[in-house]
Amino acid sequence: MNAQRLLYRDTISKSIVWLLAVPALLIPAIVLCYIFWQAAPVLDWGFIVGTADGAGFGITDGIFAQLLGSLLLAVMACVIAAPFALGTALFYRTYASPRQQRLLTAMFNMLQGIPPIVFGLCGLVVLVNLFAWGISLISGAVVLALVVLPLLVLNTLATLERIPLDYTEAGMALGLGSGTIIWRLWLPRSWLNLLTGLLLAMARALSETAPIMFTATVFSGVVWPDSLFSPVTTLQTHIFYLAQEGNDPQVISIAWGSAAVLVLLVASLGLLARLLHKLGEH
Amino acid sequence: MVADLTAADFLQASQQSPEKPSSNIEAAALQVESLGLQLDGKVILHGVSFSLPTSGVTSVIGPSGAGKSSLLRCLNGLLTQWSGTISVAGASTRQWHGGWDQLRRHVGLIAQKPVVFNASIRANVCFGIHGWRQRRRADELVEKSLQQAALWDEVKDRLDAPAVTLSVGQQQRLCIARAVAIKPGILLLDEPTASLDPRSKQLIEQSMQQLAKETPLLCVTHDLEQAQRLEGSTIFMCDGRVIEQGESKQLFTQPQCIETREFLRWSVCDCN
Ligand SMILES: Nc1ncnc2c1ncn2[C@@H]1O[C@H](COP(=O)(O)OP(=O)(O)O)[C@@H](O)[C@H]1O
Ligand SMILES: [Mg+2]
Repeated sequence: MNAQRLLYRDTISKSIVWLLAVPALLIPAIVLCYIFWQAAPVLDWGFIVGTADGAGFGITDGIFAQLLGSLLLAVMACVIAAPFALGTALFYRTYASPRQQRLLTAMFNMLQGIPPIVFGLCGLVVLVNLFAWGISLISGAVVLALVVLPLLVLNTLATLERIPLDYTEAGMALGLGSGTIIWRLWLPRSWLNLLTGLLLAMARALSETAPIMFTATVFSGVVWPDSLFSPVTTLQTHIFYLAQEGNDPQVISIAWGSAAVLVLLVASLGLLARLLHKLGEH
Repeated sequence: MVADLTAADFLQASQQSPEKPSSNIEAAALQVESLGLQLDGKVILHGVSFSLPTSGVTSVIGPSGAGKSSLLRCLNGLLTQWSGTISVAGASTRQWHGGWDQLRRHVGLIAQKPVVFNASIRANVCFGIHGWRQRRRADELVEKSLQQAALWDEVKDRLDAPAVTLSVGQQQRLCIARAVAIKPGILLLDEPTASLDPRSKQLIEQSMQQLAKETPLLCVTHDLEQAQRLEGSTIFMCDGRVIEQGESKQLFTQPQCIETREFLRWSVCDCN
């Protein structure tokens, strides 16, 4: 009798846990299916490669310009942020006093807590207007670099923390200075993991819309930016602008197509990062 | 196997480092006076004093937790928060010319667990070598160092293989070669043969005896028979203090202090 009751209870609690977990399992799957179902009518090679003359506002001429702009911004943001992230993490591990370490940790936690739209606003005031860089690739890349910086620093720190103390001490026992230890021991050992972090940061930069909306992008008319100081178009903002148009089903399915491409891009970066991470473990 | 190339040839070939003071009196290679160490508020070493002769092996024995490893880490400057004085060849290590990094080049340390770098065997041996003059004769140096560490015959055909492919015993000898390649004035070894196969153990002891002809060696060991085999003198440490120091033969057969007698008695029991 008692055993029967226990069995019931067990079954009930198991079912409740299962039921609660179902949304987490199903919703992403449903969303993904829905995106690709909606995108299917427009999704073909021509849509991605486009005619690339920027004349069709990204509606009749494919989304090549938008894809290019997104990638350019994400890559540039990471290229700008990576040296600073590496420098900060190395400073933290080698020269920083405990007080400086606490200060840095607090700073980066705070930086991570700032909503991206605030970065966008600051970028607009400082870079676009004060520095007179205008709405441009470089303004957007710098703002995005700030957004991904904490992520990169934390990842680099985690990577450096995984280097065993023995390994560092073996180098110190040979009289190697901290510079030599960094260049010849730490970086060769952990560059794959650092690269993983860079890819994840790139995926993050690709998913951000708010920071670039006022600082880097225009609706259409640009394919290859002429210089660092020209604006670009991106997939993220393209979806945003098209969705605002609202009524024309043709336009909406272009928005779904752009969304599908963006999701694929971010997912493949994540996949590549996992792959590199696995490689780095060995 | 290492007889044709002794430590003597090897050290002769090296230039004297500028930081070595040339005193005409026969200074001890290493002089430690009332060395104290506290870590996290815990006293690890209580006023340790001893000195090392300019050549030969000095073994350090004692129960685990006695502070033997910590002592070695103070001597080569991996730990720097100690009190007292440590002089190497007459110069205080705190005021060492070039700072702690240069001191560590002069006072080599072999850890208990071998740590090889992610690189080839050759690159591992060359890791600590500075300067183009040394690099140009790197091949020669690699061969000499590996021979001194009794590893040359086993690896001479695969110098470019990754060092991690070696067995643990071989890795430990590679660590010795790597330390010897920068021509230290003193070599500290922390239980270098703990948990190694008998063959590697024997080779390492052989290599230590060769090295000791020119370089003073301070070797921590838990293996009392090894301490006896290595001859030279022995230091017995317990609870962060040097209890007794003397010729190994003397110390093992007629220990003066009661603690030493107790330790030796119990250790012999452990072995059986
Ligand atoms: N970083 C540290 N902080 C605090 N205590 C330590 C530290 N390192 C070692 N100790 C303590 O110092 C004592 C001596 O350790 P160790 O030098 O490793 O002894 P041995 O090598 O003789 O076994 C031990 O009791 C150990 O717990
Ligand atoms: Mg120890």
